[in-house]
Order: sequence, then structure tokens, then C-alpha cells
Amino acid sequence: MFKLLIAFPALVLWVLVVPFCIGLLFNFILPRHRRTIGITYILGFLSYMAVFEVISIACMLNVTYSAFTCCTVSFTIVSLFLGALGIARSIYLLKKRSLSCLTLFPGEAHPDIRDFLNPRSDPKLFKTDYTFESKVYWGIFFALLIFQMVMSVVMSSFDGDDAYYVVESLLAQQADVMNTILPYTGSSTSLDIRHALAVITMWIAFVARQSGIHATILSHSVIPLFVIPFVYLLYSEIARILFRSRQQVIPVFMVVVSVLLMFGNVSIYTPATFFLMRTWQGKALVANIVFPMIFWIFLWMMEDIKARRDYPGEGSGYARYDAISERRLLACPWIMLSLVNMFSGVCSSMGVIFGSGLIALLSLLLLVLSRRWTVLLGAFLCVIPNLLYLATYFSLFFR
Amino acid sequence: MYGIFMECWVSMKLFFGNPAQIILLIASAIYLTVTEKDIRKKLILGVLPLVVLAGFLVPVTKIVYVAAFDEGSDTYYRILWLIPMYIIEGYAACSLIFRFASRMKQRMALVVVLAAAALCGSLVYLNQYMSVAENFYHIPQNVIDICDIISPEKNEPRVRAAFPSELVHFVRQYDTDILMPYGREMLATQWDYYNEVYEVMEKPEVINAKELLDATRRTGCSYIVLKDDRKVDEDLVNYGLKVIESVDGYLIYADPVVIEEG
Repeated sequence: MFKLLIAFPALVLWVLVVPFCIGLLFNFILPRHRRTIGITYILGFLSYMAVFEVISIACMLNVTYSAFTCCTVSFTIVSLFLGALGIARSIYLLKKRSLSCLTLFPGEAHPDIRDFLNPRSDPKLFKTDYTFESKVYWGIFFALLIFQMVMSVVMSSFDGDDAYYVVESLLAQQADVMNTILPYTGSSTSLDIRHALAVITMWIAFVARQSGIHATILSHSVIPLFVIPFVYLLYSEIARILFRSRQQVIPVFMVVVSVLLMFGNVSIYTPATFFLMRTWQGKALVANIVFPMIFWIFLWMMEDIKARRDYPGEGSGYARYDAISERRLLACPWIMLSLVNMFSGVCSSMGVIFGSGLIALLSLLLLVLSRRWTVLLGAFLCVIPNLLYLATYFSLFFR
Repeated sequence: MYGIFMECWVSMKLFFGNPAQIILLIASAIYLTVTEKDIRKKLILGVLPLVVLAGFLVPVTKIVYVAAFDEGSDTYYRILWLIPMYIIEGYAACSLIFRFASRMKQRMALVVVLAAAALCGSLVYLNQYMSVAENFYHIPQNVIDICDIISPEKNEPRVRAAFPSELVHFVRQYDTDILMPYGREMLATQWDYYNEVYEVMEKPEVINAKELLDATRRTGCSYIVLKDDRKVDEDLVNYGLKVIESVDGYLIYADPVVIEEG
């Protein structure tokens, strides 16, 4: 019981609070109408995982003894420091402006009469008050979400790969090593390069060590409680762009998607199967977080093209908000995409290659639609983390 | 080329599980290509998925993929992950539902869509590999009980134990202080490794006790776990092993020779 009392706050701290605080530090890069609580968390989580990737790979490659302790201590210091800066920035903003949620998250605003009357404002960018029927649909969606979360704890699924991935996390937690013991038998081995750079197993071990929860319990019974809502948060952000002018449709979309995912176990290969049966594995995160996130960011950029055409002029369309510089508006999604690429490397080396391919494909479409050369520049810059990742991978492989 | 095309075709069929799923996806993509007015959505959610699907079936894609990746043939299906299946189907469904002017028709259409999704799909919780969890570890309770018996105390050296195939996946998910002479790598047919303990413990219908002990002692196994109905030509106790516990149909043998050697 005492263990649980310590474990729960530590879990909340390292899975929710610290990433969110890091998001608060960096959310100034977001256009104001996208500076919502959800997108701030997504940005924070991606930044947090990017920092983890750099620190953990550095420790794994350079520290011989107690590599995982070194990783844990370094990451704890850096992430707490960034989180503290995020809190300090928020306090500064709240004091400077007004003590309101909208100071930090202006994207949560609902339109008022001025926004409807102002010919230069776009009320669609604001959040909607839902009708009773839409609220019922939201209720159904949340019931399905809770059902899936409960089932992820109550039901157990068998997957052979757990004998590798979950044991890697447990070895880091119990033996203080990073990928240098063979998970299947326990023999010592040289660094397993094929899987080593996908450090999601080490992040799970990090949370396990900070919370004191056994890494296997954490993987199987706790991580799904975080990943499942996170995936739906992404789908809701996608829906917000798809149904910008008809936001009442968003809850219906969420209900349909959650049913599709729940009934998506038509084979062992589908993203839905990975989502609900192998939630904690890197491959599942690539299929259900990384790829949808890439689509989301491209939909976002395509929406920006339209907004620019509909409301020409810098900062237009944001009515009650301060103007945002054109450069920041352009750069933000590419920065997010760089972070997504880093996260895909955390999950799986396969994600890096597939993610780059998907970005190339979607960039081509964006280039055609926007007719801006900056798309090429953005696409190139955002895959630099992938190129560095592959360079590290192959340099280790042929060492 | 035709042979490779057929391999791609089979991969696609295996991925979607049943024809209704492929039809649902293609119908959704075509529907969005035809009806969607917003060119951006039309391209991303309508045209692009069809292009990726066509690209998947083109033999050259598979040839390049297999050449580029070690396990290319096994993982080729992952190209289909690049199709945002659930976004496309969800968006197409919502577009269709809200084409109806009357609220009542919209509600009925939603019910039809959800019913179609359920009937064409398969509920994940009914999967044969899903079962009610016996504990928060989500591993069989008997593995935990066995491991608790043989696990070394704090500051004691790790122990090695030979487990039957059906348990090897779980042992080290519970306790990494228990080493094993062989693990999951011996069960994956595609790897085809050799392990002396596995050869004498799992392959023969009747275990040769002497051969088993030769192998487990050479690999330093302090414990051997066997199903109580597993056929052995001679009782292992005759060779000096001790049965320390019986757990849920499994006998745990301790080998004093190896334990004393440390």
C-alpha cells in the first residue's frame, strides 16, 4: 500500500506533469489558436522524449558500468530543470497578463460576439460549445475510452516479443544495464544494435525505477492507461482540423474511430491489433502515434495554406489574439515534425525509415498545393534527426 | 513478377483479414476522392491511400523492400500502416452520415455505420491470445509461483533454470535473476538455432534423463522444471536431483551438484 502511495504520484509526475511543464516552456512556438492544453501536452511529451533519446543513447554508448543509473540521473536533472523553467514561464505570464487559463492556452477560447462581427476573424478557429446531442456522443466516446482502458488492465494478451522488449526494460531496472544482456537467457552480450537505439524500453525502465513499479507491470498494466487516451487525443486533434467548420461532428468521428479500433483485430498485423494488444511496444507506438501524428501535422500545414488564402495578411484570422509572425507560423509544424521523427526513433528504427518515406510523400503533396519552396527546406530540415539516427545506427553496425 | 505480385496480394489479404475490410477501405477512399470538395482532404484521405495500396501491390516495391531490410518478407505488411485507415474510414463515415438532412436519419446512419464496423471487424478482446489477466504482470500465475521458489535471495548469485517451452516467455519478464539455458529464440521456427538443453528436453517424446542431466550440468542449471506428466525414461531423483516443490502441475527439481558448485 505504501509502495502504491509513492508509485502513483511518481507515475503522474513522470508521465503527465513533467512533459506538460516542458510543453508550457515551449508552447510559445505554437500559433495561438493551436495553443491548447492538448497540443501543449503533445509538444511537451515530444520534447521530453527527444531529450530522453539524446541522453539515453549517449549513456548507452559511452558508459560501461551502471549505464542506466547514469541515464536516469542525467535525464531526471535535465527534465526537471526544463519542467521548472516551464512552470516559471507560466507564472511569469500569468502575473504579466491575467490570471486566466486563456493566458497560457489561448487556443481553448470560445468565440464571442466581437469575433462573429469582425470581418477579419475566423470563428471556426475557436472552440465550440456542443449541443446536447453532441455531448451525448462525447459521453459515448468517453465510455468506450474508459472501457478500453479498463480492459487493458483486466485482460492480458500474449505476445512473444514481450520476452525481448519487456525484459529489456526489466533488465535496465533490475540489473542497471542498457541492452547488454541477452533478454531471452540472461547471458552477457555486446550491445544489440538492431534494437538498442529504440530506447522506448529504457524510458519504460526509467518510469519503472522512478515509481518503484516492476517494469513488467508498468508495461502491461500501466502504460496502456497512458497510451490509449494519448492516441485518442491525437485523433481528436485530427478531427478538429478535418471538421473545422462542423465541430459538432468531432464526437461522432471519435465514436466511429474508437469502434473501428476496438473491432480492428481482423488480423495480427493491423494497427488496431498492435494498439490494444501490444500497446507498450515501440512498433505499436509507431503505427498508432507516430504515423497519425505525421498526418495530423500535414493536415495542419494544409489548413494553414487555406487560412492564408482565405485571410491574406500577417496574423489575420486570429481576431482576439495577438499577431503571430509568418516565420513562426511556417516553422512551428516542421519543428513539431522534427520532434515526431525523434520520437519515431525512440520507438523503432523501422519508424525512422517509414516516417521519412511518409514525410517525403506528404511533402510532395504540400509542395504542389502550396507552391512554396520552403516546403522542401522544411522537409529536409525535419528529417535531419532521422539522418543522424541512421548514421549512428550504421556506424555502430559496421564498427 | 507475377509470383511476387501474388505474394503482395496474399500479404494484403492477410493484413486485412477479410474482404469486407479491404472493400470498406477502398470504398471510403473512392467515396472521398469523388465527393470531397476540399482538394487537400481529397488528396490525403482519398487519392494517397489508393496510391499507397497500388504501390504495395507493385512487385518492384517488394523487391526493393526485401533487399533493404533483413526481415523484409516478414515485415512487408507494415507498408500498409502508412495508410491512415481509421482516419479515412471515420471521416468517410461522418461525411456520409451528415449528408442526411434530418437528424433522425443521421442517427440511424450512425447506428448502421457502427454495426457495419462491428460486423466486418473482429473484437480484439475475443482474440485467441487474449485472456483474463491472472495478475498485474499479465503473465501466468504459476510462473510467478515457480520463480518465487527458485529465485535467489538478495546478494546471492543468480541461478539458472531449465523451463519447458510454454513457460520460457514469461520467466524473465518476472525475474531477471533467473537465467535460462534457452529462451524464446529456440521456439521461433524461422531462426532455427541449436541448444543442447533444448535438444534433449523439448524435442524427444520421452526425455533421456542422463542426457538431460549431462546438458543441464554442463550449462550450470541449478533447477529443472518439468510438467508432472512429462515422460522421462528414468526418475531424475535417481540421479541425485531433489523435488523441492510441485506447483500447478509442474515439478521443480533442484540439482545439488550444480548448486554446491555455485
